Amino acid sequence: MPENKTMTIASGRRMRNLLTNPKYLMVYATIGIFLLIYLFGALLYGGRGFTSVRTFMLFFSDNAYIGISAVGMTLVLITGGIDLSVAAVASLTGMIIAYGTTVLGIHPLVCIGAALLVGVGLGALMGACIQYLNVPPFITTLTGMFFARGVCSLISRESISIKHPLIDALAGFKIYLTWPNAQGEWVKIKPVASIDLNTIAFILMIVIGTIILQKTRFGRNVYAIGGNEQSATLMGLPVSRTKVLVYAFNGLCSVLAGISYVLYVKSGWNLSLQGAELDVISACVIGGVMLSGGVGYMFGTLFGVLLKATIPAIITFNGSMNSWWAKIFTSVLLLLFIIIQRAVIASSQWVKKKE
Amino acid sequence: MQDIILEMKDIEKTFPGVKALDRVNFTLRSGQIHALLGENGAGKSTLIKVLTGVHRMDAGTILFEGKSIRPTSPMDAQRQGISTVYQEVNLCPNLTVAENIFIGRQPMRRGQIDWKTINRRAHELMLRMGMDIDVTLPLATYPIAIQQMASIARAVDINARILILDEPTSSLDENEVRNLFSVMRELKNQGMGIIFITHFLDQVYAVSDQLTVLRNGRLVGEYTAQEIGKLELVTAMIGKDINEIYNLQKAQPGEDAKAVLDAQNIGIPGKVENISLQVKEGELVGFAGLLGSGRTETAEMLFGVTHAAQGSISMHGEVLALKTPLDAIRKKMAFCPEDRKRDGIIADLSVRENIALAVQATRGFLHPLPQKEQQELADKYIQLLSIATPDADKKVGELSGGNQQKVILARWMATNPDLMILDEPTRGIDVGAKAEIQRLMLEMCHEGRSVIFISSEIDEIIRCSNRIIVMRDLAKAAEMDGSACTQADILAIIANEGTKEEAV
Repeated sequence: MPENKTMTIASGRRMRNLLTNPKYLMVYATIGIFLLIYLFGALLYGGRGFTSVRTFMLFFSDNAYIGISAVGMTLVLITGGIDLSVAAVASLTGMIIAYGTTVLGIHPLVCIGAALLVGVGLGALMGACIQYLNVPPFITTLTGMFFARGVCSLISRESISIKHPLIDALAGFKIYLTWPNAQGEWVKIKPVASIDLNTIAFILMIVIGTIILQKTRFGRNVYAIGGNEQSATLMGLPVSRTKVLVYAFNGLCSVLAGISYVLYVKSGWNLSLQGAELDVISACVIGGVMLSGGVGYMFGTLFGVLLKATIPAIITFNGSMNSWWAKIFTSVLLLLFIIIQRAVIASSQWVKKKE
Repeated sequence: MQDIILEMKDIEKTFPGVKALDRVNFTLRSGQIHALLGENGAGKSTLIKVLTGVHRMDAGTILFEGKSIRPTSPMDAQRQGISTVYQEVNLCPNLTVAENIFIGRQPMRRGQIDWKTINRRAHELMLRMGMDIDVTLPLATYPIAIQQMASIARAVDINARILILDEPTSSLDENEVRNLFSVMRELKNQGMGIIFITHFLDQVYAVSDQLTVLRNGRLVGEYTAQEIGKLELVTAMIGKDINEIYNLQKAQPGEDAKAVLDAQNIGIPGKVENISLQVKEGELVGFAGLLGSGRTETAEMLFGVTHAAQGSISMHGEVLALKTPLDAIRKKMAFCPEDRKRDGIIADLSVRENIALAVQATRGFLHPLPQKEQQELADKYIQLLSIATPDADKKVGELSGGNQQKVILARWMATNPDLMILDEPTRGIDVGAKAEIQRLMLEMCHEGRSVIFISSEIDEIIRCSNRIIVMRDLAKAAEMDGSACTQADILAIIANEGTKEEAV
């Protein structure tokens, strides 16, 4: 059947393209290095449960707040911007929920609503400053960060624990992973592994982020702006609206990350998540998102977060190493990825010259 | 007569201090290629920007298919059917060719972008322009000519009634230009009205039906391509007789003039190889050849941008070890690179700062050039090169192409170089400014300096050079006497027809 044949050729070409297209190189590098490091951990500590499903699931649930925030950050970085306020806004979310619920006795859902308003509003405001007042994103979001931290401390300077049935229920929500035993009954796998709400939220956000970036005009405009903002304007794309929306969306992600963190620690503290914005940004960069804008994939960011989660896990499994080694390894990794990025850019320019 | 699709009447636009358009009329018919001509600053760009909604006109009317319109933004103009392809490719390098063609109006399927249709239709569109390429690769992987075609494909697919091509040919080679023209003719036959802006007069005659000439913001006249000759046209554009401006005197280096630069068998394996050349005091050596024939690579080696792996470069008899351009600058060399937007001017710095840059570089950052000296330097060269700028503090990015080029020239003249290398200094600038740049080069030679002049336009190479080096396929193909060779001779060598390898 000739039709069938052309289809095979087309899909074959698509396969080849998927493998050789330079735009995916960074993501491959991230996945490759993740697999390498995972394999390394498996070889060393496989016997002690490093390769168990439980450990793997913990990569997700322990890092969900970083991952959720990284989804929004990926969009911001692809436009060529940056957002330093994410951790402070997440922390502020925690404070609003903790203070509102514990001290004022307001229902947590109302507090979450308030936090969403504040987070998205601040994001949109910062986006507007960046777009319409031409203030560099770094400065704008640094200001936003100080503001959010300030408000945190204004609310309270002490850690407030949260005790509310709804929060407890959400934090305690778990789907245990099961498998059929010899008798054909579904039993919990050993060691016990579960999917909690944070994991679900993290994966859901990655999926939503992927759909936004790959399947919507808004997402493609984000890439176009990062590629060349002036061209994007001349091509008639809604640059201003897109940029403001990106920062607003990132504000939303920050609040969601804050909620995720609340479920993780069940308290609010004005100094929580200090410096976590840099963890988020570095996870994106390790995932192949370029700080210069225009390049990055949600899938890469997912692996960036996982890669960043694997290193401390290995250190923990080792048991004898100081946990600060995790930072050192992460920094080495970050450096490695920046070098790979430069190499990818250089090689694509080389290809261009050759033609 | 075809139908009139666009009528611009009594358009006026004033910028602070300048009347950019003064009661300009312009009429376009469907199925017509209409060239819009004039020197830089004549008002062509402003007229186009008014039409595409970048600027708002102060007075006048625009009738588009009989209806009065006032576009408020390029997006708005595009929606109404007026598309523009600019001189610089205004697409996103990180997106695929296909996506660049369709972004902003991607076909959707079940609420999602339909990538399959995008890629298929983009491939069809590019095929129709004679380009069979993989449209799923990023735009940046393709050369400018293909990027340009992609931007035309984008403009055309919007179902535009009017297509504006603003200097589309300035970075294309001859074949690519021919291809572009056939695309233009096909669009014309489909009934589109095309406004074509270019500085290449030959191209105007090759493809246009109608010509409109502007000068200093005013309409000079509208002609059919048959009724006006080239000389008349240039006279209309610059308002002066052409012979007056092209009255150039070639440099006359003495018989026993010493060699300033002597390069022996220089090369980088795989890039350019085995190039020898000598430049004498007060001599202008022209570099002819196609884009990519190794001209720029040679110049970059001479200036230390890239390191010559083979051969030797000496200046005034002293062998140089050039590691960086700074070494070359210290040896009194200067280099105006090909892509002035990328490698030459710093658009956000002022004219003064741009001019002082190279002088500053030779002093080192510990010895800043005092503000006053910078100012004097800038004023001197603004006057000397008649750079059209209100003052030395204007950002260079806001000047016209020809004036930007003069700023770069000024930057290097200020270092008082013995040897100046100019790579395509006249590309994309108008006739008047071109002649001025050529005059300046020759004046430098008359002062006893030497110039290497790289250009794709053979007639200007012949007009200025004492000796001509022809490059082909990353090697030196011939060296000729500038006063005794013709355009046909050079073309023959470029096309590899002649057999003379080292004719002197």
